[in-house]
Amino acid sequence: MATIDIVIVLVFLGITFYIGSFFYRWVGDPDDFMVAGRKLTPFILAAVIAATNVNLYSFIGQAGVAYKHGIAILWQTWTGNMAIVFSGLFIIPIMRRLRIRTIPEFLEQRYDKRVRTLVGVLWIFRLAFWLGVVLYTAVVAAQAITGIESFAFWIFVFAFVAIVYTVLGGMWAIAFTDVIQFVFMLIGALIVLPMAMAAVGWMPGLIEKLPEHALTLVREEGTYNWKFILAIFLLGIQWASVDQGLLQRAFGAESTRTVAKGMVLAGIITTPFALLWNLPGLAASVLYPGLENADQAIPILLADMLPNVVLGLVLCGLISSQLSTISGNLNGVATLFTNDIYESLRKRKATSKEVLLIARVMTGIVGVFMIGFAFLVPKLGGAVEAYLTVIGIMDMPLFIVAIVYGLLWKRATSTAALVGYLAGAAAGIFGKFFLEFDFNSTTFLGAAVALIVTPLVSFISRPESEEKVAVVWRARQISDEEIESGQIYHIIPKTPRGRLSMLVFLSGLVLFLLGVFLGSGGYAIASWIAVIGMLVYFIGGLLRVYLE
Amino acid sequence: MYFDWITWGIWSMGFIILVMWIIVPIKEFLKLKRERAAES
Repeated sequence: MATIDIVIVLVFLGITFYIGSFFYRWVGDPDDFMVAGRKLTPFILAAVIAATNVNLYSFIGQAGVAYKHGIAILWQTWTGNMAIVFSGLFIIPIMRRLRIRTIPEFLEQRYDKRVRTLVGVLWIFRLAFWLGVVLYTAVVAAQAITGIESFAFWIFVFAFVAIVYTVLGGMWAIAFTDVIQFVFMLIGALIVLPMAMAAVGWMPGLIEKLPEHALTLVREEGTYNWKFILAIFLLGIQWASVDQGLLQRAFGAESTRTVAKGMVLAGIITTPFALLWNLPGLAASVLYPGLENADQAIPILLADMLPNVVLGLVLCGLISSQLSTISGNLNGVATLFTNDIYESLRKRKATSKEVLLIARVMTGIVGVFMIGFAFLVPKLGGAVEAYLTVIGIMDMPLFIVAIVYGLLWKRATSTAALVGYLAGAAAGIFGKFFLEFDFNSTTFLGAAVALIVTPLVSFISRPESEEKVAVVWRARQISDEEIESGQIYHIIPKTPRGRLSMLVFLSGLVLFLLGVFLGSGGYAIASWIAVIGMLVYFIGGLLRVYLE
Repeated sequence: MYFDWITWGIWSMGFIILVMWIIVPIKEFLKLKRERAAES
């Protein structure tokens, strides 16, 4: 790596740091720090969510999987995008109406304080661990691309800058640095794609040199087969419905309608973007076959193909992808602690100034934990495996008790939610570590146990008071805030245009599922049907938020 | 010279998103800044 590239990276970090810190003056109260004063507009929100959704795992890890197993890994991002659209249309608008900052806060509104505190504590550890995974991935990739081996230097680059601007500017700083980082990520990807494709003889060269299965989107066999698509779609919906890092940004939207628009746009813009980093992964499998560690495919391709200056710019894109994920999750953990633990431990209500201070201090402390966890990741079998283990065990039971039963079944009780969550997580741990289940089976086991235990315990425990449940049920209808601002969003469409767009959306979903199921029979047309279904689904989502 | 429609088609979609996400957020930032200035 030449001096000019290092200068470009340092200048980029300096600008990011300055812009992030600029928003210090915009932070006057905890709502400013945690949810940007609930003033984010659709395009800013879309860039912010897309930047959170894309990180170095996408550029390095996922492209590495494309290198090793073929293009089917694209579904990890695409189903995630479909899930963002689904959640943006049907689930997050309800949460936004409740004016909450965290999912545990919703759990107290729907159930009780015990559920809120338990999930709050567990999610602080889960997010801090995820931050460690993100940081570790960043350091390993940066070492490989640049040849600068110093762990401490890269920790400084990724952790220090993000921690400082997040402490100072909170969600305002995160939102605008995310927009800039999203732009840099795109620039990086737009530079790499044509260079990698030209080196393999463009698309015809790639098709000729790769085995057929590497270019099949819905596969009958292999690790990333049709069952993987269904499992990851299901997980995507739960992720887009309960992930604190993602939701906190969504709660920053200026209105319920903005949440829906922003999330639909975020899902759509990341879809072509995913091709920009997965196609170079495929090209790398032609250019550098037989690499022992597939995660090295993209770093080697970058170091080999990119001239000076361009390498610096692409590196800024890669650093961006990580900074946005780190800063958002840091803010998420600090919010979880301040909102769900600190305030409930205090006998008196904390002042606004006090909450803001605690949130800032917690951001710094979590940053230190993140660095500690980054050292633990290699001992857990690598970044992807470690991350999938944690989400497989912890996320699905939360989705079942919070979203499935919390929003759809009035009879679900607090005790049942508590027992259902713990039973689902315990089943996941048992499946993973004692029965040695893979990721898909662990996820399904945890979900099934939570799905069965929660209603069983509900029937033998005392029902929640009607007033308590009514607060959540009311949020399914339009709010006074929406009527006053004129920014009305109906979750169930009320107009013919709204119903038509819903029909388009559902037709897309059915087509997509049909394509995936046809993949189980090895039909060549399955991939086309699934992709067309996904596109129709996105069009339906877009019409839904812009037409009605 | 060969022109790869698929690659450049994907690239163009990315480029359009890039341009839109430079222009619109700048406009929205300036609007928010004006609103804050008016409030204070």
